[in-house]
Amino acid sequence: MEKIKILLVDDEKEFVETLSERIKMREHDSVVALDGEQALKKLEDEIPDVVVLDLKMPGIDGMEVLKRIRKAYPKVQVIMLTGHGSEKDEEEARKLGAFEYLEKPVEIDKLMMKIKKAYKNKFESSMMAATFAEAGEFDTAKEIRDKEEENENLNKVKKKSK
Amino acid sequence: MKDKEIQFIGKITAGITHEVNNVFASVREISGLLTDILSLTSDESFKHKEKFNTSLEKILNQENRGVKLISQLNKFAHLPDSQSSEIDINENIQHLIFLTERFGRVKSIQLQMQPAEQEKKVVSNPFYLQMALFYCVEYFLNNLKAGGKIFFNHYNNQNNYSINISAEGEVFNLQKLFNDPSSMELSNLSKTLEVLDAAHEFDKTNKSVKIKLSIEK
Repeated sequence: MEKIKILLVDDEKEFVETLSERIKMREHDSVVALDGEQALKKLEDEIPDVVVLDLKMPGIDGMEVLKRIRKAYPKVQVIMLTGHGSEKDEEEARKLGAFEYLEKPVEIDKLMMKIKKAYKNKFESSMMAATFAEAGEFDTAKEIRDKEEENENLNKVKKKSK
Repeated sequence: MKDKEIQFIGKITAGITHEVNNVFASVREISGLLTDILSLTSDESFKHKEKFNTSLEKILNQENRGVKLISQLNKFAHLPDSQSSEIDINENIQHLIFLTERFGRVKSIQLQMQPAEQEKKVVSNPFYLQMALFYCVEYFLNNLKAGGKIFFNHYNNQNNYSINISAEGEVFNLQKLFNDPSSMELSNLSKTLEVLDAAHEFDKTNKSVKIKLSIEK
C-alpha cells in the first residue's frame, strides 16, 4: 500500500488533530493546518497528494483556499469536508475543481476510501496530461504540467534558502 | 412575527447548529480513535475491552442520533432564508414528520406519509408552508386520542398542487371536530395560508377528517 500524503485543514483543533492521528494509524502521512493561511504555507513546504479542506474557517475561507490550490497546484486533489454545506456550496466547490464534497461528521472508512480515490485520480489525470502532451495537445494539459513543475522548482529553491 | 425577526432567529439557530455539529464531529473522531486503539489491543492485555467497545458503540449511536437531529434543525433554521423557492414536497413532508414526531410520540399518535412516486416540486414560501402543515398536524394531535394516525399524501392538479393531511382513529369530541373547525390551530392555519396565497378545505366524509391544502403552481 502506498503512503498518501494528506493535508488536513480545519479550525476545529481537537477534531482535526484526532482525525490526523487516526489517519496516521492507517499508515498514511498526515499534516494539520488550522486555517487557510497555514494551509497555503504548508503547501509551500511540502506538496501533499490530497487536501481535506473545511469550508468555513476564519481568515481565508475554504472556497478561496480551494481556488488557490487548484491554480498553483493543479495535481493536488481536494476533498471538501464541511458541516452543513448547501447545494450551492457543493456546486461551487465542484466547479472550482474539488474532487469530492463530504459532510461532517464522516465515517473514517468512507473518508479513507475517498482519499484513496482522489490519490488514484491524481495519477490518472497526470497520465492523461502526459498522453495529451504526447499527442500534441499542448493546451490545458501542458499548462497544468508546466505550472506544477514551476511550483515544485520554486518550493525546492525556497527550501534550500531556508 | 415579522420576516426580519424570523430570519434573525433562523440565522442564530443555524449558526449554533454548525457549532454543535462540530462538537459531534469531534466526539466521533475521539471515540473513533479509542475504538482504533482498542482494536490493536489484545483481549488478554485488557480485560474490560468488551465493555469499552460496547460503551463506545453506544456513544457512536448517540452521536449519530445527535447529528441527525442537528442536521434537521439546521435545515429548519434555513427555512426563512428565502421567501420563495422551489420546494420538494416529499422532502418537505418528511422533514415536518421528523420535526413533529416527538409531539406525536408523547401522545402515541403516528405520523405517516405516502410519498409521491415522482419528485414533486412547487414554488412557495418554505417557512410558511412548513408552518401551515404544522398547524394541520397540531389540530389533529390536539383532537385525536392515543393510537391515532395522521397521514400525508400529495398530488398534482391541473392548476394547483394538493397536500392532504388526514386523521384516522378516535377523536376526543367528534361533534366538535366536525362542526366547529374554528379552533386556534385552524385560525393560525388560515392566517398562514393567506401569506402563501393558498387555500384549505375540510373533507368530513367516511367519519374521518381531511384537510386539503391547495397551493398554486
